[in-house]
Amino acid sequence: MPAGSPGPAAQSARRPPPLLPLLLLCVLGAPRAGSGAHTAVISPQDPTLLIGSSLQATCSVHGDPPGATAEGLYWTLNGRRLAPELSRVLNASTLALALANLNGSRQQSGDNLVCHARDGSILAGSCLYVGLPPEKPFNISCWSKNMKDLTCRWTPGAHGETFLHTNYSLKYKLRSGGQKGPSCDNTCEEYHTVGPHSCHIPKDLALFTPYEIWVEATNRLGSARSDVLTLDILDVVTTDPPPDVHVSRVGGLEDQLSVRWVSPPALKDFLFQAKYQIRYRVEDSVDWKVVDDVSNQTSCRLAGLKPGTVYFVQVRCNPFGIYGSKKAGIWSEWSHPTAASTPRSERPGLGGGACEPRGGEPSSGPVRRELKQFLGWLKKHAYCSNLSFRLYDQWRAWMQKSHKTRNQVGRRDPSRTATCAGLACVTMCSCVPAVSF
Amino acid sequence: MSRREGSLEDPQADSSVSLLPHLEAKIRQTHSLAHLLTKYAEQLLQEYVQHQGDPFGLPGFSPPRLPVAGLSAPAPSQAGLPLPERLRLDAAALAALPPMLDAVRRRQAELNPHAPRLLRHLEDAARQARALGAAVETVLAALGAAARGPRPEPPAAATAAGVFPAKVLGLRVCGLYRDWVSRTEGDLSQLVPGGPA
Repeated sequence: MPAGSPGPAAQSARRPPPLLPLLLLCVLGAPRAGSGAHTAVISPQDPTLLIGSSLQATCSVHGDPPGATAEGLYWTLNGRRLAPELSRVLNASTLALALANLNGSRQQSGDNLVCHARDGSILAGSCLYVGLPPEKPFNISCWSKNMKDLTCRWTPGAHGETFLHTNYSLKYKLRSGGQKGPSCDNTCEEYHTVGPHSCHIPKDLALFTPYEIWVEATNRLGSARSDVLTLDILDVVTTDPPPDVHVSRVGGLEDQLSVRWVSPPALKDFLFQAKYQIRYRVEDSVDWKVVDDVSNQTSCRLAGLKPGTVYFVQVRCNPFGIYGSKKAGIWSEWSHPTAASTPRSERPGLGGGACEPRGGEPSSGPVRRELKQFLGWLKKHAYCSNLSFRLYDQWRAWMQKSHKTRNQVGRRDPSRTATCAGLACVTMCSCVPAVSF
Repeated sequence: MSRREGSLEDPQADSSVSLLPHLEAKIRQTHSLAHLLTKYAEQLLQEYVQHQGDPFGLPGFSPPRLPVAGLSAPAPSQAGLPLPERLRLDAAALAALPPMLDAVRRRQAELNPHAPRLLRHLEDAARQARALGAAVETVLAALGAAARGPRPEPPAAATAAGVFPAKVLGLRVCGLYRDWVSRTEGDLSQLVPGGPA
């Protein structure tokens, strides 16, 4: 059932627009060579109907010479001829039509119901508007960019499909307060700014005073009104993305990048706490990792990254608590992606080249197993060239060291303390010593 | 301007007379504009019928070609008129079209509010018709063949009471726009040096 105040659902003709002195076309005429002109009138003209309802229409012919007959006339709807059993001759000059269980209009300009003469020529037409009244819009959300404007968007009721052109109007007013008396309704004028159901109020907004905001939906079959949203502009402030985001290496540290940015300048004069979020991804991935709760600082260090890898980084800001607002605040858009790469891993004695297993090795079982493991490890972690026993021995030494370290869970490498500790922004802070030769 | 410098009365006889370079350039430019607008007008017509729904745009759709106040279609008999007269008729038609196209746009704004491209193209068509008409009049004036006396004001645009007749009227106006722009291109081609006789 539609909410709000439904309009008339019965057949209704549109009120004709004001006529100019040189009005020419009221009806269509189809001159036929040598036989005079016949015109016709369809009634009703341009009716509006509910989906599922019925329509009774007539096509009345008149012309010169008089006595035009309804015999041979036929109907089409959107170009398709209607079955003869839907029509009947009412009298010598009138053909009737009965349509039941109408579907929603195919186009918003109206379905074209046309009355044709026997020879197919068009005698008259009428446009049907078949649809549904609007349902209550809902889910209104608004935000203010730097406290200067207000943008709202909403969801149309009934998922938007009424089959009729439905007009949405965003209204707002200051919440009336006692002695000041009722305030006037204002209507938003800039629509579709951030999607089909949105509106932008660019100026003349008051702070520290609640607004009441609602949406009215209207079409030929009725109207509906959303619930009222009450808000203070200060509670829905967002801002521009942080500018000047720089991402750089941290010396030679191959698994870290430093991110720095500037707080949004538009709000620099206002007292507020800001919180930031960072997200980053590997160049050829679509999966972002988010670093949360980067509170009120304009730099952060990312750790636990892959060496020799390009990362894209973005930052966004939430200016919550502006002028003491208790609300959560609204995140800005993400900044433009900034790219940087971690240093490539420097491993002495290694370079490019193929790795090949040594030949002529003793074929004892344990050695072969170790060699297989070694080669597997090389594939993953090293750049191989000029393999030697020395390299093999180094690997064995690392394996032993690594085994000892795995048994020391939680113990931190002192050289990394400054990096790992106190970094609220780090999610992949690795405190296991990097592999070293 | 002497008759030796340019004459529309008998372009065939004076084909050996070279027009002033700037006039020649103006004629070429106006002809190019007409050529371009002919293509735009055809596209506008196609776009218009798409938004009215079937049977508009169906093969064989043939609504009555009803007269529109203040403007008739180019008549085949006009081909026999002298070129200056044909160009004057072109200019008059192009001057009459803009208010009609504006009226069609206003009505389409009610019927098809979610067709911004169509509405924009109708607005462009009105502006382009005005521009082409002015360019043709400039050419006529340069050739000493401008219409004598003040041009009558174009009549107020016709309107239609019902939606279907309004759709048909809009189709008619878009068709007239295409026909007259095309006719103008053809007439101007006879002035372009090196063009068809």
